[in-house]
Amino acid sequence: MHIASYLSSLMQMSRLVKKSPSVCTDLPLNSSDVCNKLRLMKELLKSSYGPTARLKQVHNNIGGAVVTTSTSSVLLQAISSSHPIVSLIKGSILNHVSRFSDCGLFASVFCLSLIEEAGRCDLSKNVIIRVNKHLLSLCTAHLQQEDCGCKVQLDFCSSQSLITLARSVISSKPTCVLSEPESAHISRLAVQAFLLTVPCNIPDKVRLGRTVTIPMEGHSVLESAVFPGLLLDTPENISLGNLCSPLRMVLFSASLAGDLSELGDGRIEVHQGVDTDSQIVDQLLELGKQVLKDEVKLFVCQKVIHPVLQHYLRCNGVIVIERLGISLMEPLIQLTGAQPVATLHTTVPWEAYGEVHVSVRPFGSKTKLHLHPAGKTTICTMILCHRNETMLSELKLVCQKTEHVLRLTLREPCALLGGGCTETHLAAYVRHQSKNDVSESSPVLGCSQTEYLLAAEAFCRSLESVATSLEHDDGASLIDLTHAHHWTLPSDATEEHLEDAAALCGCGVVQSCQNKKWSYLNTEYAEFSPEPLLTASPLQPTVLDSFTAKVNALEVAVETANLVLDVRYVIQDVN
Amino acid sequence: MLEGVVINSRQHVGLQKLSALSGRIRSSVGPFKNYKFIQDESSGDSVLVCSCFRIIENLEPTCAVGQLVYETVRGHHKQYRTGSGCLLFLAGGWSRAALDSLRRGISVQHIITAMSEGIDICLDVCKKFSVSFKDLAVMEKCTAAPGGTKKASTDASIEMANFHDKCLSKSGQRKVKLSRHFCEAKSDMLSTVRHPDQPDMIVIAESLSHGCEKAMKLAVEAAQMLLKTNQQHIRDPLFDISKMLTCLVSGLPEDYACVVEGCILLLSDEQAAAAHVVKQQPLKVALITGDLSQTYRHLGFKSLPGEQCVCEDLDLSVSNKEDEWVDKVVKLLLNLEVKLILTAGLVSQKVIQHCCRHQILVVEKVNSSVLKTIGSSTGAIPVNYATQLTESCVGDGVNVEIWRDLSSYERKSLTAVNISTGRSSGLVTVVVTSCVHGKLQALEDQFWACAYRLHHALKDGALLPGAGGAELLCVHQLQKQAEHDRVKDSKTGSAANLYRGLVLQLMAGGLIDYITAVMVNTGRFTAANARTIVSKQLTEFHRDEISTEKFLQLVSQSKREDAGFSAVKPDEAPALNIYDNLSVKQEAWRKALDLVLLVLQTDAEIITGTGQKNEGNLMLL
Repeated sequence: MHIASYLSSLMQMSRLVKKSPSVCTDLPLNSSDVCNKLRLMKELLKSSYGPTARLKQVHNNIGGAVVTTSTSSVLLQAISSSHPIVSLIKGSILNHVSRFSDCGLFASVFCLSLIEEAGRCDLSKNVIIRVNKHLLSLCTAHLQQEDCGCKVQLDFCSSQSLITLARSVISSKPTCVLSEPESAHISRLAVQAFLLTVPCNIPDKVRLGRTVTIPMEGHSVLESAVFPGLLLDTPENISLGNLCSPLRMVLFSASLAGDLSELGDGRIEVHQGVDTDSQIVDQLLELGKQVLKDEVKLFVCQKVIHPVLQHYLRCNGVIVIERLGISLMEPLIQLTGAQPVATLHTTVPWEAYGEVHVSVRPFGSKTKLHLHPAGKTTICTMILCHRNETMLSELKLVCQKTEHVLRLTLREPCALLGGGCTETHLAAYVRHQSKNDVSESSPVLGCSQTEYLLAAEAFCRSLESVATSLEHDDGASLIDLTHAHHWTLPSDATEEHLEDAAALCGCGVVQSCQNKKWSYLNTEYAEFSPEPLLTASPLQPTVLDSFTAKVNALEVAVETANLVLDVRYVIQDVN
Repeated sequence: MLEGVVINSRQHVGLQKLSALSGRIRSSVGPFKNYKFIQDESSGDSVLVCSCFRIIENLEPTCAVGQLVYETVRGHHKQYRTGSGCLLFLAGGWSRAALDSLRRGISVQHIITAMSEGIDICLDVCKKFSVSFKDLAVMEKCTAAPGGTKKASTDASIEMANFHDKCLSKSGQRKVKLSRHFCEAKSDMLSTVRHPDQPDMIVIAESLSHGCEKAMKLAVEAAQMLLKTNQQHIRDPLFDISKMLTCLVSGLPEDYACVVEGCILLLSDEQAAAAHVVKQQPLKVALITGDLSQTYRHLGFKSLPGEQCVCEDLDLSVSNKEDEWVDKVVKLLLNLEVKLILTAGLVSQKVIQHCCRHQILVVEKVNSSVLKTIGSSTGAIPVNYATQLTESCVGDGVNVEIWRDLSSYERKSLTAVNISTGRSSGLVTVVVTSCVHGKLQALEDQFWACAYRLHHALKDGALLPGAGGAELLCVHQLQKQAEHDRVKDSKTGSAANLYRGLVLQLMAGGLIDYITAVMVNTGRFTAANARTIVSKQLTEFHRDEISTEKFLQLVSQSKREDAGFSAVKPDEAPALNIYDNLSVKQEAWRKALDLVLLVLQTDAEIITGTGQKNEGNLMLL
């Protein structure tokens, strides 16, 4: 018996096509195909970087919906490559974006530039990896220093710097098509929403609230607004009548559709004449009776509610809301103190009920039910309006990103200069430091002084190329040789007109003046130590980047690049 | 991943596509439209289309730009039902302007800044030159004055000029409310602020009809009927457009179109028989939001795939489940004495048969707004399942009347009934008729376009000079600004506004293109001829350095001269002024520019998924 089955399986096997052996590629970075792919990826992401970026239309080849965007999370998700190196880079950047939301494109462009520069200079990969690591620690140490020239402390006494930070994030995505007043309005709303989520009286443990975003198409951006509490869609013609606030409410996470969906694909046998549907409806009505007895006035379900139950509850003066969706569950629990009920087969325990104030708020053509607690709440709702779907979906993404960036400021209350100034500053700093410590560092890193300087040059050029990536209209990128800030010169302006054409540097801190010396980026200039700006008043940059996100992006980029440079073989199963 | 890179050179492929798409509707802008056949090569089906929206809808653009266009136009159409052609045409015109700018070496960033400024100028012009209803009412009086005969005499025009001086000097304080959204608040405001000398709705309607006089007549009639039946305050003419319905009847000449109070529905033979029994008596009504069949389950219900029935003893007498269910429902209906059922969904044939046998009239596929209105006026509560019905859900006092027996016009019998509630239900049905079945859709679209134009005009409380007037003014302003920039540039020699003037000039070109296309579509002008007239008009504007006051007069005079822009036949020339909707036009322009800017900034397409097609400029990642 055993032997027979073994034999038959052998015979079956003999009919199978032989597996082809795995393909092993030596030194993948030396192949022109891989280099082309990486270059293409870099071009793609680089052209999507910054407030004047070029947009990409993402769609599938069977006529699916078109997404117009320049957001790294969407772009990278759309990239699916046959080559593991591309997938590796994509994976690590996406991981960064999922944790910090911001600086995804910065990390990608920097990482890909590092790889490209490493291929260009004729050094052993090991040396480059070691030097990169060393320089990264140099950068992070510099950024952590109190007197770092490209860092500004955020002043929580006024909302101005927070608004500037929010505005930098919001205006970095041109798909939103926002005018000046519109982006100012949205930045203010973002900060307002953020402030609402910070609890006022802090108990032992600080817990931030949530901002729920509701997109509304077809309205002007300036009609966007923030409300404390939650706004829920309601069935039409709701009348609060003589309901006295606060209302008792119950929240179900189980489906009350009247089906047996929790059985999954399991089989069920029923006797002839037994009507499962009506039995479940009876069960649901029992539930309805109980909540009515307990004087529940607001009945919310994450999923579908059977129309019979809805009808029964409405006839008895209960406000019924179905299909709340998973994303609103957590905020609603926080807001009302209700415990979600996950079954319909037991009576609802008294502790599961929550309490909430309710009012009706018309917004546009829709009526929304406004839920808010008696006291302060850390839950708020942001209604985002825009003229069309494409711009609205990007605006929603950007606002969520802004919320995250603002939250990160609570961890480290500082920001970095934006507009490419941090990159040029760091490049100048690293160039200067590496010149100074070449004699000590090179023996530690096990390379010659020349090798060390070459690798450092490649690192700095990569940093600077991120700054140049901000310009997409053939303009020139420059660095000033005193403060090492980033300047852009429009393609139609000549160097003589620099003072008129570029009155301010990228981040808006430094003003141009006659006796300033400039150098084009990606050309050689004598190394110098960037001077700190000496002003009496604190700096007022117009563009700020998230400190936490950028420092992490820097690390992710260098480590990913090092990992890619370290890959010796690619073994692919081609079956 | 496949990746198609649109090369961002001076030949922007996306903009070219946009321009090409908008070229499809060139002959369909303006009041004079030609019908088009759109044929599906694979199936051989064809549709007759007239409006720009239907053209795009039926072309089903598949490319990324095409989808973006369709998404935008669909959004606009859903809200306004008119102005889609203007949107698409200008998107094309301005994408050509952007292409031209690129070709001249202007950077994308400069184009964006300049064009945004351009649209601000245009929207500003609209705001400034909009005519409020108050002005309109005064104007009416002027024309009605004994001196002002139909042929514009010199006295009348002087009078007009004086009047414009008067009313426009006030216009400085006038605020045109542009918000379209807060209807309730808005209607309050209208009723309080409005001057007693309201312009006549008929006059407004005529000036907004844009060649669809018949459809506009129906719209006005329907609006007035709505106002009357809902006993709204006469000073607040904003009607509730959600209570207007259309009923399409083919086989009748177009002149048979009419407006009827109540809700007209078409019935099949069997239903008609039941209708004859229940007609002309107050009936009890049940409203069902789902389908009326045994297998129907509400949305979100997952039926079990693995349910098995176990029988203990074999019972052959058991009838099938559906019959049981139908019996149960009919018994319930008879108990409740329901004689009329309106369902939003479908009704199974068996239910119709059973109900007809018991003289219960069942009507399927009823508009949900009808259910709502009938529900609120009869006290009926819409339910999802028929088995849910109880005494309290049933409403009463509904009347069914046989409105017309249309059987003689079509082979299969067809009866139209009018369902109304004794108390004012407030529903008004517009019956659209045509001998040609394929034309019905176009006629219905025309009606809705007119109804929405009227609705939005009343909501805005102001109108925009039509017949190309607003566009001409914008062209004038854009060119003036461009000239201003040029002069300033040559004086200061700065490069800052170097390109702005040029881009504004090109944008104005897009608008001129629109005006001439509309003129050419009337069939009375060649393209060259139209251009000459427009440029003549513009030079006049420039020479006079027109003040806002004189503008309206100019436009109305120019109309008398050449009747070029108007839809009015030349022989009945100076009859009326033509106006456009303020908010609709502003919104259409904004959306058109949004489209152009999005496409202009796009430099690549990322195509996900495995693809077999290998096009020339695809790159694989």
